Amino acid sequence: MHLLLLSCKKATELIEKKSLVGLSFRERVQLNIHKSVCEACTAYEKQSIKIDELMQKHIQAEGSGPDNTGSNTQLKEKIITKLPQT
Amino acid sequence: MDINNPGTTVKCWVDMYADNMYSWALYKTGNKEIAEDLVQDCFIAAFQAMEKFSGKSDVKTWLFAILNNKIAEYFRKQFRSSRVFTSEGTATSNFFEADGSWLKNQRPQEWTDDETQLLDNNEFKKILQSCMDNLPGHWNAALQLKYLEEKKGEIICQELGITATNFWQVLHRAKLQLRKCLENHWFNK
Repeated sequence: MHLLLLSCKKATELIEKKSLVGLSFRERVQLNIHKSVCEACTAYEKQSIKIDELMQKHIQAEGSGPDNTGSNTQLKEKIITKLPQT
Repeated sequence: MDINNPGTTVKCWVDMYADNMYSWALYKTGNKEIAEDLVQDCFIAAFQAMEKFSGKSDVKTWLFAILNNKIAEYFRKQFRSSRVFTSEGTATSNFFEADGSWLKNQRPQEWTDDETQLLDNNEFKKILQSCMDNLPGHWNAALQLKYLEEKKGEIICQELGITATNFWQVLHRAKLQLRKCLENHWFNK
């Protein structure tokens, strides 16, 4: 790979790497140079960050699932019978 | 709470929280049997770790922390067992030319929708969920692990027994697909 020129595929990989483990100095420079000339990857990064925020909230949102107000008596009984006996 | 009788206490917790925990586990895994097993395991673990529970934190918070650990464990297994390396190479050819540039019709464009409270919108949440459900098993598992736990990437990789490079490459594929799905069904509909 050329020292400075990244393909879009590689650039978007680095965008994901950045959000997971961070980038080395060289990778950071490569990515910034790429983005300065590539609108598509700049848009991709913005959208990727937006998806990260949405996913984070969506996945961690406790109880955001479908309301299940019904009581599951069978399950409770099953759990209790499987508990170690005191 | 009667700490001298952990059996009674845990039974009481089952009665109070099992329903909530079950619907959360079902929502995360999409499988009734797995959700039941996870909740079951969770109460057994709670029973065994009873003395570690100091009563400082809220019982419900503590139980959900155990449950989220169990769910993460489930996704780790899922990731390992459903991982098919062959699909990964072809997956990017849906988006990129052989030289790594974007395919013409796949080049990301700015999204027009700039609504900030998207997650208050049930319609959007449904689409997000179905886009996730449509991903191959281990991609979905990788995403779940990334967002479910506020752990550093390195730790997730360690737990999965894969290199960081492997993990973010899987995430990259998953993200491309998820992004496309959201774009098709929501942002640039």
